[in-house]
Formats: sequence, structure tokens, C-alpha cells
Amino acid sequence: MTPQRAEWLAEVKRHRHFYLFVSPFFVLFAVFGLYPLLFSLFLSFTQWDGLTAMHWVGASNFAAMLDDEILWRSLWNTLIIGLLYVPPMMILAFLFAQILNTQWLKMRAFYRAAFFLPCVTPMVVIAIVFGLIFSAEKGVLNYLLGLAGVQSVPWLTSEEWSKVSVAILVMWRWTGYNMVLMLAGLQGIPVEYYEAAMVDGATAIQRMRAITMPMMRPTFLFCGLLSLLGTIFMFDEIFVLTSGGPGTSSTNFGMYLFNISFGDFRFGYASAVAYSVAVAVFAVSWLVSRLNRQGLEGA
Amino acid sequence: MKTLSPHPTFKWLCALCLGVAAISWLLRPRPETAPASSAVAVVPASQLHGNVTVWSWNIAAKSLQQLIPGFEKRHPNVHVAVDMTGARMTTRLMLSLASGVGAPDVSQFELSDAPRYIATGKLADLTPVAAKYRSMFPAYLWDNCMMDGKVYAIPWDMGPCAVFYKRSLFAKYGVDPQRIETWDDYIEAGRTILRKSKGQTKMLPLGSNALNWMFQMLIQQTGGQVFDGQGRIAISSPASRRALDIMRRLRAAGICSDVPVFSQEYLASINADTIASYPAAVWMAGTMRDTARDYGNGDITWGVFRLPAVERGGKRVANVGGSVLVIPAQCANKEAAWAFIEFALCTREGQLAQYRNFNLFPGFLPALQHPGVDDPDPFFGGQRAGGVFATDVTQISRLNMTPQWSAAMGYVDQDLSHWAATGMHNEGFFENVERKLAKRLGVPVAPGNAGPRARR
Repeated sequence: MTPQRAEWLAEVKRHRHFYLFVSPFFVLFAVFGLYPLLFSLFLSFTQWDGLTAMHWVGASNFAAMLDDEILWRSLWNTLIIGLLYVPPMMILAFLFAQILNTQWLKMRAFYRAAFFLPCVTPMVVIAIVFGLIFSAEKGVLNYLLGLAGVQSVPWLTSEEWSKVSVAILVMWRWTGYNMVLMLAGLQGIPVEYYEAAMVDGATAIQRMRAITMPMMRPTFLFCGLLSLLGTIFMFDEIFVLTSGGPGTSSTNFGMYLFNISFGDFRFGYASAVAYSVAVAVFAVSWLVSRLNRQGLEGA
Repeated sequence: MKTLSPHPTFKWLCALCLGVAAISWLLRPRPETAPASSAVAVVPASQLHGNVTVWSWNIAAKSLQQLIPGFEKRHPNVHVAVDMTGARMTTRLMLSLASGVGAPDVSQFELSDAPRYIATGKLADLTPVAAKYRSMFPAYLWDNCMMDGKVYAIPWDMGPCAVFYKRSLFAKYGVDPQRIETWDDYIEAGRTILRKSKGQTKMLPLGSNALNWMFQMLIQQTGGQVFDGQGRIAISSPASRRALDIMRRLRAAGICSDVPVFSQEYLASINADTIASYPAAVWMAGTMRDTARDYGNGDITWGVFRLPAVERGGKRVANVGGSVLVIPAQCANKEAAWAFIEFALCTREGQLAQYRNFNLFPGFLPALQHPGVDDPDPFFGGQRAGGVFATDVTQISRLNMTPQWSAAMGYVDQDLSHWAATGMHNEGFFENVERKLAKRLGVPVAPGNAGPRARR
């Protein structure tokens, strides 16, 4: 044994109590995190229905993905749904956070709770309420549109509008959550910066452009990243509202994954698809965080 | 203080060891098939004892619960507990079957799901105990309960279809249900109701999640199949095209409501004048009764008429749904579990109680032929509704339900909702479905049309 190794082992022994204290996390992670991760990687090279024997199929699951039109459509839908709801949601969340951050507003806690409420409301309730709002025949939304003289919209029965309906529901549900994150970001900006700017005679717009926006950049990126992951793996909202239909028009990646796993029982293929998309998402996230770091360093 | 920093190689080595250990544990040799004692033996009632856990859902579970006192009177040493495990029960059961632990002693399956689970070899062989009941259920129900000549599930209820209609609305708009013999008559009656109600009352709900049921109902009348006798894809046939054409005509006539089945609006329509009739399986009566009892205002009265035929003199029957009970092979007390299944499904007493209280239409023929099934039903205005559903049930066309049936119907459902949302273009529809099914299920396409199924 080299002297370094002996020294290292002695260090481990000396700090064994600390290792013991941190071990619950590592044990739980190994069982519930690492094991499923490795098992899923193994599964992606097999054909398995969950009950009968597994068959090793090499990389053929990955090859099959290239020719899977429903997979590509679901990724396309994911992109469209994301584009439909992320920008307006971020803008609204920022606006609400700004308003809640003002000094003159009364009942701030109430508004904060009210905006946050949708993301803790049970999905069953949301399903019932939004089903009634979006109904083509007797829906509240179409009734209101009718009052305004607008023709009724087939919210859930048209392949184009189903994505819009999902986007509206998701926006309603997650704006409050993003608002809370942005509020925390806004409150983290030192007041002195604004005071100094005001002494220098900066207008509100100048303060926003020169102080708020650059300081909020990490928060925006964090919210953006969460929304990206949320859109890809979103399931509840689509499941209760459209079940991915009509056709596959509102099937996003999460819904597609559920269908091939628990509808078709193709766990091997589902793992291959999940791994491939997870790697792609990881690459994008890494790129974004790297760009962010570069941006901050360059600022 | 010196910081402790293990070499990165060591961390990776630990992770790798853990991964290899996990995968090796997973791939450890295990017996592939069920234990040798997987077949259920015939045991005298006096020797039975222990607990029996049953997994079931919704009304079916309640129906089994009400049988427990009667069963425990016969078998005082056996105690039954029905667990209403609710949503995604089959997924959880699948995990229990795969892991070899945690499954109940008795479980419910949808009739259409049974072949998939039977094919796994994780269910107990019921052949010896079920032998004497083979002639007491319609043959098409057994078809989904057997593999390689052995019985792995016992048929429970079935879902013969008819049309539930609002007697009061039909009378108000002058439509005589007895004159509706074909789907063309039905469409015409729907047009009359739509016109006279000034567009307020649609004839039937046929939203995107009802298309699949309607398609299944209609291909049983036109003689179509999704799979042929050898399990090959046989959906692209003149019979399927005929069924789709009826669906197109129903929707094109403007008489269909788009409300999704079982949605709030659908349930609300049961007590309103927005929808006049509901072509559905007999088990829908339970939902209708419950909804009408809880929210009805008494203005609406109900009746039932037989399913319209494709052409005059054609078949007026079809089956949608139905369930089975099974015993997982890992069950330790199979004989007691069988005693409960036998009492619930293979006795007139058990099946009639379930029909009377929960509208589970008996698959057990001695119960079905009991005069009590045809008693006048106050909910249907004193009509003998049971008889309407029971007529010709033995002539129902069997659909070849292979282990891939549920997955296939998921894709058919997807394509039908696409068809409805994009202008109902029948041309090339089934060719596309056929290609999709072949690719996604890995099953070959049958040459020509589907024929009768070979006995398994």
C-alpha cells in the first residue's frame, strides 16, 4: 500500500461518523436513483413486456426510433406547445412578480398565495373545471366568445386547437410558480443599486434595462430550463385534458412515453427513447448553463 | 484542516461496481414459469380456510363485497376482503406478477385484457376446476379465458349492447323506437328529433373517446375483425369499411354530440334534454341509474330498444366490455380463492345478486335464463329491459382478442379521433391503420379478410 493510500484510508476511518451521517442519502439514491437509471440503460438494449423473459436486441431499439413517426410528431408537438406557453408565461410571471415587488401594494401575501394556488390544485379538479371551460358545445369559453360575437372554437376536438388548450391550461397552472421564483430573484437585487441609479437620475425604464434585466438573467434561465424540462416530461395536464388527442395532435413526449410503456408494454423501447431524449435534454441544459456562465463572466 | 478528496477513478469504480452488482442481481437465474403447483385442485369445502384478498374496481368491487356474507356462511373458515384498488390497477398488478410477490389471491381483468396476462404464464391453471362450467358460459367468453386448451380465467359479466333512450323525449318529438330497425332508421329518427327540438337535442354522444366503442360494436354486426384467427392484422376489410361508413353517416347527419363519454357534460346530459339516446353496453345502466337517482328531476323517463342492424333482418347484437376473475400463480391459497370465484361467478345465486344490485349482466347462462333477469324494471318504465339485452346473446360475433388487442385498440382509437377531427376521409383509412399496427405491434398482416378464429 502506498503511503498516500494509507493516509487516505486513515482519513476515511477518522471521519467515519460523518460518512455514516451522509450515508442515508447515498443509500437511498443508489436504490431509487442509480439503480433505476442503470436498469433503464440495460433495458434500452432489450425487448421486454414487463412479464415475460427479456431478449437482448442490441441497438435495434435505437435504430427503430429513427423510423418512429409518432415519436417525432410527439417531439414536434412538445416544441409547439412549449413555444405557445413558455414566452407568455414568462412575461406574465415577470409582470406579476414586478407588481408584487412594489412597495405600495396591499395584501401582498394574499396575491402571492392566489397566484401560486393553481400549481397545488389537484389535477382531478382541474380536469373537471377545464373540461367544462373548453367544451365545444356548452363551454364557458365559447359562451363568452359568443357574447363577443366570435364563432365557437373546437378547443378539444380540433387537431390545431388542442395544443392551444393544453398551452392555456399549462400557462394557468405554472405562471404562479414561475412568479414566485422571479419574485425571489427580484428581491435578491440589492436596493442600493436602484438608489444609486436614482441619484444619477436614471428613469424607471433605464433602471429596468440596466439593473433588473441583467441581474435577473440567471433566474430567467433557470425558469426557462425548468419549463423546457416541464414541457418535455409533462403528463398530467395532457392526460386529463385531451389524452394526447385528437389523433396524436397534443401528444407530447411524456404522454408518448407513457403510451409505449403502459399501453404497448414496450419497456425496452421506451427506455431507449427516454435515454436518448434525456441525453439530448442534458446536452441542451449544459449548453444553456455554459452560455449563462459565459454571459455572467462577460458582464 | 486538510480536505478529503478521493481519487476520481475510485468514485467511478464504486459506481460501476454498484451498477454491475445491480444488473447481476436483476439477471440472477429465476424460475421462468409458475411453480409446479400452479393448477388449482378440487378440495372439499370443509377443508378450506384462510384469507382471500380480491382486487377489483368500482361497481364490480362493490358487487363482490355484497357477496361476502353469503360466501362466508358457506365457508366459515375463509375470510374474503375486496380491495377497491381503483385507477391503474392492472399496471400495479403487472408489477406484482413480474416481481413474483404482492399480487392478490383473486383479481379482476377486463375481458379484452385477459389474453395479454394469460400469455405471460403468471396465472393459475383453472382447467380442472372449471371443466364442469365450460358449457354454462357463451363460447365467445371462454375464448379470451383460454390458452393452449387450458383455462386461466373465469368469465364474469358481459356487455351486450342496446340503445338506452329517453322515453319522454321520443314521445315529445313523435319518434317510435319500435320502428327503428336499422342504423338508417336511427339516423332518420335522429334528424327528426334534431329538427323538432330546433337543434337542442342530439340523438347520441359520439365524441372522440366513443368512436372506438362504436367501431367495435359495428364490426360485430358487419362481420369484421381487427385480428384474424392466427392473430394477424385483418382490420382492412369491406366489413370494417362498412362500419366506418355508418359512423361517418351518423356524424355527417349532425345528430351526434361531441361530449366525451363519462365527462361531466356527458353525465349532465343524462338528466337533460341535450342527448336523446345512448347506444351502449348493459353495464352503462348502472351509471344511468346512479346519475338519475342523484341528480334527476323526474321529468325524464327511460326505455331500451335493441341495437339497430346494418340492414333489415341483420344482427341486432354486439358485446362491449365484460370482465373475468383470475388467480395469480403466486397465490398461496388457490383452493380458497377458487371457492370464492366459484361462488361469485358460477352460481345462479351469486350472479343474480350482482345483476339485481349492480347491473352486472351475468355471463353464467343458468343465471341469464332465470326468469328474474326479465322482471319488469321500474327504471325503464316497467319495461322488461333484461330480456332486451339477453336476446340472441349466444349469437354475438366473437372478436379475436389477442394479447395485443388493447395496444391495437389504442392505435385504432387514436386514428379514429384523427379521422373525426380532420373531415372523416374514409379513403385509405384502414390501409393506414393496418400499416401502423403492423409496424408498432410487430404482427404480420393477414392475406385477404379475417376468418373465424381457430380454437386455442
